[in-house]
Amino acid sequence: MDGIAHRLIHRAARRAPDSLSDRLEEEWLADLASQRGSIQRLRFALGCCWATNVIAHEHAVAALPVAGSTAGRGHVIHAHRDDPFFTGRTITFVLVAFLHAALLYGLAMGLGQQFSKIIVGPLTTRIIEPPPRSTSLSVPRATMSSSRIILPRQDQMPTIESDPPDVIKGTVDVPVHPPLPPQLAAVVNRVQGGPGIGFPSTDDFYPDASIRLGEKGLVTVQVCVDGKGRLTSEPTIVQSTGSSRLKEGALRLARAGSGHYRATTEDGRPVDSCYPFRIRFELRNR
Amino acid sequence: MSKRDRDVRMSLQTLKVLEAFLENPTDELSGADVLQRSRLASGTLYPILLRLESAGWFVSRWESIDPSSAGRPRRRFYRLTPTGLRRASEVFASFGRGVLA
Repeated sequence: MDGIAHRLIHRAARRAPDSLSDRLEEEWLADLASQRGSIQRLRFALGCCWATNVIAHEHAVAALPVAGSTAGRGHVIHAHRDDPFFTGRTITFVLVAFLHAALLYGLAMGLGQQFSKIIVGPLTTRIIEPPPRSTSLSVPRATMSSSRIILPRQDQMPTIESDPPDVIKGTVDVPVHPPLPPQLAAVVNRVQGGPGIGFPSTDDFYPDASIRLGEKGLVTVQVCVDGKGRLTSEPTIVQSTGSSRLKEGALRLARAGSGHYRATTEDGRPVDSCYPFRIRFELRNR
Repeated sequence: MSKRDRDVRMSLQTLKVLEAFLENPTDELSGADVLQRSRLASGTLYPILLRLESAGWFVSRWESIDPSSAGRPRRRFYRLTPTGLRRASEVFASFGRGVLA
């Protein structure tokens, strides 16, 4: 920091009028040493740069012949110099402003991300879905065992005494037969769902930090989907070989895909279901 | 009053510089001393010092040391001239010191 301050003062003094250049440099360097702290010294040096501009301007104006003044060294000068419209400072200011505007525009338009993609290389992200499998489920058919109500014989009927005639009082034995063996005749052809048409590209959900750090991994996400391919609950991570950033990217991808899942079908009919699918994040260098 | 005296612009910053010298008019102050007393920025102070020196209000001299043996550059000391002291006193009398309070 002090080196910068010294260089600034040296540079400022060189830009001062020749008659004052050496004097100002020595004076400012001496006063610079009196400043406490690097920031204060840097501020002092920057102030000297500004002072040079003012001194040089006043010196140049004083050197111009002034109408009505014989001395030409008056301290209130009413003459005007024909300064060029675009001074070096103006051009520098415009350039810096243009660079800032271009940088902001680039950030706003996502050019930075494109640039990082060029550096890192194309990303390939594959969603590995498990092969569809037809599952034959053995669903026991619900069967009602026939219940027989065995009424006692007439001679075993209890004596009806004072009860109203329409009320029958007695024991009713409802034997419960053991359930019949399940019938295994029902076989359902079940095809598990997965990411379907219009599912978002995983490239859009590859975390930028992971790209920069070269992180890759495989994340298995469990989703519950209705018959229309929409999420019915929050997706969860089942397994992951990557970082927490990749997990979060996988979850965001799973959420964004709601409505684009292929529903699980049973005998061709879409049904609500939960199933896992895997997302591979990998970087492929050129 | 000479033309040079009359042409010095009296800005608030110039008054602060003069006030720093008027605390003890016989003192010689370096630019760093004036910075500390006036709380001005260096970019403001040095043009004012040069302006007042050109107008004859200040005189300046180098510090009487050998920079090579002292291991640092010489400081430049400024001091009010009798004219400067009189003019500064007049200015403050006309403005009133409350201006800088």
